[in-house]
Amino acid sequence: MSAAVQLLPLTSSLEEIPGLADAVEAFCAPLEPGPRDLHALQLALEEAVTNVITHGYGEQPGHAFTLELRREERRVTAVLTDDAPAYDPLARAEVDIHAPLAERAIGGLGVHLVKKLMDSAGYERRDGRNVLTLVRTFAPPAP
Amino acid sequence: MEITASTQNDITVLALQGRLDGLASPQLEQRLDALVAAGTRKVVLDCSALNYVSSAGLRVFLGGAKKLKSAGGRAAFAALTPAVHEVFELSGFLEVLAVHPSAAAAAASLA
Repeated sequence: MSAAVQLLPLTSSLEEIPGLADAVEAFCAPLEPGPRDLHALQLALEEAVTNVITHGYGEQPGHAFTLELRREERRVTAVLTDDAPAYDPLARAEVDIHAPLAERAIGGLGVHLVKKLMDSAGYERRDGRNVLTLVRTFAPPAP
Repeated sequence: MEITASTQNDITVLALQGRLDGLASPQLEQRLDALVAAGTRKVVLDCSALNYVSSAGLRVFLGGAKKLKSAGGRAAFAALTPAVHEVFELSGFLEVLAVHPSAAAAAASLA
């Protein structure tokens, strides 16, 4: 299967989220993904995009950033690039997922899920931009 | 996301349908806050038709369970779909929230 690339322009609004899920599904459709793979990618990207909007841009509307999706065989790579102040979401302290109800922190779960759902997640500050690269290799299609 | 409410004695059942993402979660948060403010103390969240939850939705679930608990009440979650179950598992929510196989079992646990 040949490689394919798609660039999705995004703005700093949570209104982007439902359309993002649809765009990810459409991009992955040629791979005939199983529900777990598609769900993992959609969820990780909601979390990553939400982080850019809320932490990166402080929930201020009107900022533009991009998501590049790439397919090579069954490996899907998502690269999120924004010009917000330097912020490495992956450097966030791990949440304690075994803490009792009263002590459960309300934040940090999104990044935790990104790390759990992706095969790899990498951050770099490049040319004044935050670049987050997420990779997941999809399971073979059902026979 | 669609939220359908029904009551059985002193138990309110909220049936959630669709996607509980960052855009939809404030809607559920407001609904839960209104229930607690109106005196409801027992809430079943029927997730049998909920096919997606993100950390924003988890925050509302956790916040709702905590608010009910501090008001002397309880929340019970029912019938998680495979996708929602996976997110609960990855987040450790199966350990801190009461999860039941069906809405009937969840309601029985609150009776």
